[in-house]
Amino acid sequence: MACFYGLVPKEIIHAAGMVPLQLIEDRDPRYEGQSGLLPYLCGMSKSLTGQIYSRVFAYVDGVMVATVCDTNRRVFDIWAHKKLFPHCLLVRLPSTATELAVKFYAEEFRRLARELERISGVAVTEERLRGAIAQFNENRELLRRFYDALPESGIAGAEAIHVFAAALVTPVEEHNVLLRQLLGSLDASAKMEGKTKLMLCALNLNMSLEVVRLAEKYGAAVVTNDFTHNARYGSDPIPLAGDPFEDLARGYLGRVPAPGVYPFEARAGYIRERMQKAGAQGMIYLIQLYCDAYAMEYAMLKERFDRWNLKHLKLEAEDTPSSIEPLNVRVQSFVESLL
Amino acid sequence: MPEAGRLEEPSDIKSLLKKLSAGAQYRRMMAAHEEGQPICVASAGIPSEILYAMGVYPIYPESLAAIAAGIGKAQEFFDLARERGYSPSICSYARCGLAFSWVNRCAFGPIPEPDIFIGDTNLCCLHVTWWAYLREQFEKPTFFVDLPATDDPQDPNYVDYYEEQIHEMVKFIEANTPCVFRMEKLKETVRNSDRAGHYWKSIMQLRKNKPSPASFRTLAGEILPLVTALGIQEAADFYQLLYQSYGGLVKEGKTLAKGVEKYRLIWDGIPIWHHLQVIDYFETKGANFVWEPYTSLNWGNLNPAGRLDPEKPFRTLAEKYTNVKINLPLEKKFRFYDQAIPEYRVDGVVMFSNRSCRPNSIGQDELIAMIKEKYDLPVLILEGDQADAEGFNMQDARTRIDGFLEVLEARQS
Repeated sequence: MACFYGLVPKEIIHAAGMVPLQLIEDRDPRYEGQSGLLPYLCGMSKSLTGQIYSRVFAYVDGVMVATVCDTNRRVFDIWAHKKLFPHCLLVRLPSTATELAVKFYAEEFRRLARELERISGVAVTEERLRGAIAQFNENRELLRRFYDALPESGIAGAEAIHVFAAALVTPVEEHNVLLRQLLGSLDASAKMEGKTKLMLCALNLNMSLEVVRLAEKYGAAVVTNDFTHNARYGSDPIPLAGDPFEDLARGYLGRVPAPGVYPFEARAGYIRERMQKAGAQGMIYLIQLYCDAYAMEYAMLKERFDRWNLKHLKLEAEDTPSSIEPLNVRVQSFVESLL
Repeated sequence: MPEAGRLEEPSDIKSLLKKLSAGAQYRRMMAAHEEGQPICVASAGIPSEILYAMGVYPIYPESLAAIAAGIGKAQEFFDLARERGYSPSICSYARCGLAFSWVNRCAFGPIPEPDIFIGDTNLCCLHVTWWAYLREQFEKPTFFVDLPATDDPQDPNYVDYYEEQIHEMVKFIEANTPCVFRMEKLKETVRNSDRAGHYWKSIMQLRKNKPSPASFRTLAGEILPLVTALGIQEAADFYQLLYQSYGGLVKEGKTLAKGVEKYRLIWDGIPIWHHLQVIDYFETKGANFVWEPYTSLNWGNLNPAGRLDPEKPFRTLAEKYTNVKINLPLEKKFRFYDQAIPEYRVDGVVMFSNRSCRPNSIGQDELIAMIKEKYDLPVLILEGDQADAEGFNMQDARTRIDGFLEVLEARQS
């Protein structure tokens, strides 16, 4: 089951005997051109739509969309209208975390479970759901340990992004095994001597890899990151207290600071805390052009970043080599300013 | 439902419009604040009937942003937003509205410090971020009315959730203001809202006549009380009188549109507030807009039943505020066009591709495809922004409109 975007409850998909597969943007510019979407929409939605038209995801059994972004929401309408997937499931995601919202969302999860059961033929029992939550909780814990170890692991920033991104497209059991192996093999003494340490906040994985390489070219090391997928999915474990549907609803609502929904103080504090933990001296906030959520969040967080004297660089670009290239000078200046 | 309403004395449309105009509502807000009435910064999609029933005065930043654009006073606010790092790709209502909050001023003058904030996702997702920011900036009690994305707004479970939130909204207001809820007051505001919505819808029906009695330009201003004053008696009285006035024009075969009606068009999207003269231009060339989703589907009695039930105010409001256009998949949106095109005898469609409003603009191409497949109507796409005039060129727009009208002319010949 394809997932778009980071708020899709993958645990339910897993409990239904299906593999959740995050839709990821592709750098091939032909996809954006093929999407037929408006020019002022974000490249991610265009890339994904183009890939779908090109049948890159022809093997999936459906798509589940849970989003707080208007572009994602409306692009789902187009996918559903054109019947681009065998099944199109829209998650009725609350934008608040009140008890009323939790109760509503728990019921929504039951509804989605019934839809998924019809597709997979596997009943989403409470036991299966608890098992799925446990698997994803283990993944969250392993990722947390990975990020804790990252600054002194010797792992390059780009590699770290691949480790995280793999979680989005690999069956969770497999990713857990790989992470355990990786953690077991890390050299805790591999310090990043002499390098300026940075944090990267971003949504687009391709652009992030480019920016990380730019930073490394100028003597920096990206020692931690925060992707929307990770912030919403990979940060906090879901406590199991009773009804797993309700536990899952409570876990997904109001726990994770990410663009668009949650208190800015918490969001900014989360970024600052991650930086402090990793010893990052500066932060690059990377916005994909026409991403309203990130653009608006940045301006709101900036007030706090400035107040806290948190050194940061905002970059805004399209996901194309020609758009990233001009960022060279700005990244270089930023890294040098931190020396 | 009483068709004649509660109008007891003859009243004058112009004097009512003076009380309900943007300037008048601004003065009312200042007076309300002076009198100690709680001020609420509200997003345009929340159940305003509750606010009026409880004696809370709402101000709507989106509406103020549209008005600022309409009177040519929005630029300073956009400049301020840019200085603070807000990308021009962000919705212009949000940029302008945030700027109001930084300077405590709108295009009309100072804005009093609000007492409470109530936001929602009824119009778009960005509202949550916007009101979350206001909550942190002003450190005032804030309530969110949640409307999760759905393609089935009539699901009872969905409506139940919204209805429960309206009850919570009442408790929130009582807990954070001196205002007290009274059921009879709510029934009264719902009655007023229903009457206003009913007559507005009736006005829309009059536009099926040839010529349509209304001008979209005029309606764009007349719709304001439906957005900002829904629930008060003057608004209901106004729309009742307005309906009678338009009815009179129908009997006389007249129209408020400039020029003689030759072509009948649909406008899809929010009006271009900073250049409403685009509509004038169409009209002077004989093209009259006779139906718009903005006027017909966005405001008023949106309940499936078409009327509000004051005896079940919470349920009726929940049914109204959940049954909104953003909750409809493309096929259901198309059904409105499918009904309007023959009923309003439409000759062509103008789609405003508004970069600020993704909920309205995304899917327009698909709607065009469905319209063309069934009706083979010419479609003109105009690009721009609802409130930010940057990049909009009236001469370019005229050229494109002229070309479109030539196509309509050729088809008629």
